[in-house]
Amino acid sequence: MGNQIAEAEKPAHLQHHFVDSDQQFESSKFGMWIFLVTEVLMFGGLFVAYIIYRSWHPDLFYLAAKELDTALGATNTVVLIASSLTIALAIRAVQLDKIKAAINYMAATVALAGTFMVIKYFEYTDKFAKGIFPGAGYTYDGIAHDMAANFFSIYYMMTGLHGIHVVVGMGLITWMIIKAKKGSVHSGYYTPVENTGLFWHLVDIIWIFLFPLLYLID
Amino acid sequence: MSSHHISSNFTLFGVAGALLVLTFLTVAVTWINIPEPFNIIVAIAIAVVKAALVAMFFMNLYWDTKFNTVVFLLSILFLIIFVSITLLDTMFRDAGLPVY
Repeated sequence: MGNQIAEAEKPAHLQHHFVDSDQQFESSKFGMWIFLVTEVLMFGGLFVAYIIYRSWHPDLFYLAAKELDTALGATNTVVLIASSLTIALAIRAVQLDKIKAAINYMAATVALAGTFMVIKYFEYTDKFAKGIFPGAGYTYDGIAHDMAANFFSIYYMMTGLHGIHVVVGMGLITWMIIKAKKGSVHSGYYTPVENTGLFWHLVDIIWIFLFPLLYLID
Repeated sequence: MSSHHISSNFTLFGVAGALLVLTFLTVAVTWINIPEPFNIIVAIAIAVVKAALVAMFFMNLYWDTKFNTVVFLLSILFLIIFVSITLLDTMFRDAGLPVY
């Protein structure tokens, strides 16, 4: 057992089945990346649906995308990039043991995520008011195309699943704020904050693709 | 845990700045009319660069063990297989466009 840390000097966060903190950190992070792979493939199914429908009905996507507000979509892109920056700054602050700053950065991230959801709420309600619902509920007649409802079914599924991820991310980051306030994350152990950050950045990456694919069809 | 990479503020703000510039660029290219299919290619290319910046510098893949990068890229590879094999069916149907 030459490379095992003696019981007495073992840090509190270190689980008994890991050799040291670094191995525990790397294993946990690797597990998070495996999870992110499953996330990519889950959204992947929706991207495949998008690609097939767009290849079948390119004219529909051109017409229907005009119903989406580019300014709101661009604003939300900027909001999510800012939130990715603040969570990255929060992780840097935890690494430097600046817990107070980390809590502030994480609170800013939750606030930005909330802003994203509020903008999304206004976009959705604006469409509902016109009768643009997913699937059979679609009653809008402003788009001269038989398949118009399909574009919006894809739109609602993609942005809806993404929105659920934003809400989950807000919950996770709030949990990390509570952990930081309790003092259970610090420069020696910040694995949960790191993994939450990875999740949050993936949510940002997915929106980076959704924005041009849905809003910027010219 | 001193071996972990700690990004400088300069890097983090620099990457965020680059992402904002690319966001503006992806909107700006729609103001000039690039013909099909190059407008889609340009939009996807900008999105790929943005995603790569986030993955490398915000998600720390650039400084991490390369195995995490391999795992992430494998998900992209399988997504490409998923898309291509499905399109090999849907793009080449003789019966014309489906009714849905």
